[in-house]
Amino acid sequence: MRHWLRVSLHLCISLTYVLCTEASNEHFHEKLSLRSLRDGKVASTFTFTTVLNGVEPRHPETLGSKDASQHYNVFPLALGQVLREYGVTELHLSMNAGKWNYEQWGYPDELSAGTGAELWVWMGEGGPLSIEQRWDGLRNALSGLFCASLATMDEQRTTSPSMTFIPEGALPIWNRPHLLRHASLPSEHVCTENLTPFLKLLPCKSFSGIASLLNPHRLFDSDWHGMGIHVLWHPDKGVEIRLAFQSVSDPLRVSRSKRRGMCLSLKPTQSSSTKSPQDWSFRSLFNRQIDRQCPVARTSTIEVALPVNEAYSLEPSPSTVELNVARFYMTNESVPLDINFRWPAEFTYPVNPPSQSLVPLSVQRTLRGSSQAHGQVSVHLRNHLDESVQAMYLETMPWLVLFYLHTLQIKLDDAPRDDLISNISYIPSILHSRPTTLQALITVPPKATIRLTMDVTKAFLRYTEHPPDAQRGWDLPPAVIVPLVNGTLRGPAQPSLGSRIYTPILLVDLATPDFSMPYNVIIFTCTVLAFLFGTIFNLLTRKFVIVRLTLNPGCTVHDL
Amino acid sequence: MQAYLPARQFGATFTALAAGRLLLALAWPLDSLLYDQQLSSPLTSYLSLQEGLYLFSNGVDPYDGGSFRHSPLLLSFFSTILPSSRIGAQLLWTLADSVSALCLVTIWRARQRVPYSSRDAMIASLYLLNPYLFMPSLALSTSTLENTLTLVSLALACRQRPSQALLVLSFLTQLSLSSILLLPPLLLLLITDHLSHLASPKSFNGSLKRTLPLLGEFSLYFVSLTFASTVSAGSWKWMLQTWGASLNLPDLSPNPGMWWYFFTEMFDHFRPFFLMVFSVHLLIYVAPICIKFQHDPLYAAFILLGTLATFKPYPTLSDPGLFLTMVTLFPEVYPYFRHPIVTALLHLHASLLLPLFNRLWLTQGTGNANFFYASTLVFACSNGAALVDCIWAGLRIAIGEDKEGYHVVQE
Repeated sequence: MRHWLRVSLHLCISLTYVLCTEASNEHFHEKLSLRSLRDGKVASTFTFTTVLNGVEPRHPETLGSKDASQHYNVFPLALGQVLREYGVTELHLSMNAGKWNYEQWGYPDELSAGTGAELWVWMGEGGPLSIEQRWDGLRNALSGLFCASLATMDEQRTTSPSMTFIPEGALPIWNRPHLLRHASLPSEHVCTENLTPFLKLLPCKSFSGIASLLNPHRLFDSDWHGMGIHVLWHPDKGVEIRLAFQSVSDPLRVSRSKRRGMCLSLKPTQSSSTKSPQDWSFRSLFNRQIDRQCPVARTSTIEVALPVNEAYSLEPSPSTVELNVARFYMTNESVPLDINFRWPAEFTYPVNPPSQSLVPLSVQRTLRGSSQAHGQVSVHLRNHLDESVQAMYLETMPWLVLFYLHTLQIKLDDAPRDDLISNISYIPSILHSRPTTLQALITVPPKATIRLTMDVTKAFLRYTEHPPDAQRGWDLPPAVIVPLVNGTLRGPAQPSLGSRIYTPILLVDLATPDFSMPYNVIIFTCTVLAFLFGTIFNLLTRKFVIVRLTLNPGCTVHDL
Repeated sequence: MQAYLPARQFGATFTALAAGRLLLALAWPLDSLLYDQQLSSPLTSYLSLQEGLYLFSNGVDPYDGGSFRHSPLLLSFFSTILPSSRIGAQLLWTLADSVSALCLVTIWRARQRVPYSSRDAMIASLYLLNPYLFMPSLALSTSTLENTLTLVSLALACRQRPSQALLVLSFLTQLSLSSILLLPPLLLLLITDHLSHLASPKSFNGSLKRTLPLLGEFSLYFVSLTFASTVSAGSWKWMLQTWGASLNLPDLSPNPGMWWYFFTEMFDHFRPFFLMVFSVHLLIYVAPICIKFQHDPLYAAFILLGTLATFKPYPTLSDPGLFLTMVTLFPEVYPYFRHPIVTALLHLHASLLLPLFNRLWLTQGTGNANFFYASTLVFACSNGAALVDCIWAGLRIAIGEDKEGYHVVQE
């Protein structure tokens, strides 16, 4: 009897659930893309998209009044509340660890690949709360939501580089314009405490569907990993929220360590000799397989990029194969699912990696000079195409490093070519409060390398402004390069152009005071000051007199 | 014929020194000097002047943050008539040094009431060869220009040209706010005379009311120059960026002064209080020094320059350099110095330690901030010792030489 009750209760709940999701305007799609990179690594991108049909972002004028009640079935309520509370139209939060190798790996599926945390938001102006108040509140809310130090992205790190970070969705046309707020925190590390709240935003958590592959032990062991939260608005669809997790795992490393283990145990097996180290499967990458389908997902797709002109074997057989992409549409019948990808040919590690870069421009940025007082920023831009490329160059530098813009030089083969840089827009930093924003349009001639150099001075900080590990130095955010297509950002026809390229972050070594000294310095300086003050005022306030020196006690004093 | 010898000698020495100085600057343009923190402060750096000029010519407001902290007057002069190229700047800075040396000689001649003297050549060479003045000038620090304006203003006052002296002083105040402390002794100098009365002090018998029109004139110049600055800068933002910097100390880069490490190590909640104390502390010397040396306002101005060089917020080596070189104007006090050797040795000590420890800390990485801080303390002590000795000698000279059986003490 009890058993039957439980079954019927389950049936009821799942029926309501299914009915609700069908009836409401919320669609949830999940997708996993996997591709083998040419250095033997495997890039995997998990994308969880929820679309809230027919909903518009909250108008900032209504921020003072009570908001309409929010009821979602699959849309994450915690995030939805934050978005409506601060009237956010478009939001991009990414937290990555490691350095994305653009030349060998190409563009990432999610473009925000800068090391550390990056948050950029488009918000409509107007209403009772200022943009700064809302930006501040949003940072603190996200900080709590994702267990990350996003609240420290204060005005010392906030810029508005609207020429580079154009909205990816659409902005509603309200009477006041939309403004951009951007901040990055290069020293922020993404780890399992950020993944847990990320998983909580998914309707099936990590219990079923593609998300069940998100195994923190394996994800945070990968060579590069990062998560992103993207909120967009499309006028025809509504509000779209895209949660993405990307990782680059190294099957070579995993299999090598396995082999070493086998060698130690002196039991070489047959399988290890026939298996290529580049082979991968869900088991080897994530140590899991998909056991259940996520019931609320409208589509669950797994895409595997197939190699060109190379033999491979893929198990089980995909649902469709088109244009070198194999797709698996997951159904109740296809689980449990573990995709196995095998390379029959022996893998040879590319000692000389292919010179052909997968991105049109490669960028190298360094901070030179041994002094803690000044230095030089140097950026090398190499064009791999046969035509000249125009690129937008953006630096959002904290006030720790001050630019001397008049020393900006651009050189092509050691010859100054100032005509290659144009449209410079510059907002200088303010010490202890505002970062520098430098945007410029750079032209790189075909198959050439240009060198940008600029002298900088390094700031001297108050002792309370230093972090606890002051001698480690400060991480500087990545510069962003956007190659342009016909002078505009992001052309949909050519996805290789028009996408952001992040440079690796820099570490700046700033001069440190002695942290044990505050009392001593106050005492020493005040003593010298007081001593000099006292001596000077002693001289200035007392008169000189002449005394006659006599030996007998009854001496006389003659005033002049 | 014999009488013209000193004049000819001065002319030859002066020309040779100025030409040598220019040749040196043009032959070895040392870029590393431009970055040296002893030679130019954030307020006087040639690099930030160049940065400001670049931003200004490219339509960016140079006072909207950034490193530019020079007066809008300098900005407008350098972007129009004055040369901003390296060679042009070297010429201009040599010219400024030469003018300063000439002004020093002018002050000396006016004080002695002679058309020329045998000390002229020595005074000029003491200015042009003083390493504290020479190095900042090679580093193209605008503190050299401030020194020139100070000396021009004093020389004009000695020549009894009130309007011109006040105009130059108001210009100087635009460049460095703390120079306004020189106004009271300059006003006294304008209503009394510039001759040496140190040995025979007499109390001030003029009327202070005569300073009122002069004060009004100065205010007029000052307000109009401030207004001109605002017009040329386009907004009031320049005040916070230039004058505000010497009151708020936003840039804590090391310099030979006493403020930077104190406010680096200061607890945040005490910062405003101590900024106020340090700023007010500068004001406190003006009235007592002017009252005590009311008989010789030029000496009062000299002593005030010494207090500024020791205690001002962003000093460079050229500030104590000017004070030390000006000692040559007062040879009458030399016999009454109590510890000139100690002062000289302290200066030697500090001037060797300052560049050494700055390099050890910031470039070599083998020293730490305390090393450089300690040498700035020694430097402050050496400046203080010179200052105290000059005040002592300036007062002691009135008593005359020691006699057998008598002793001079303070009451």
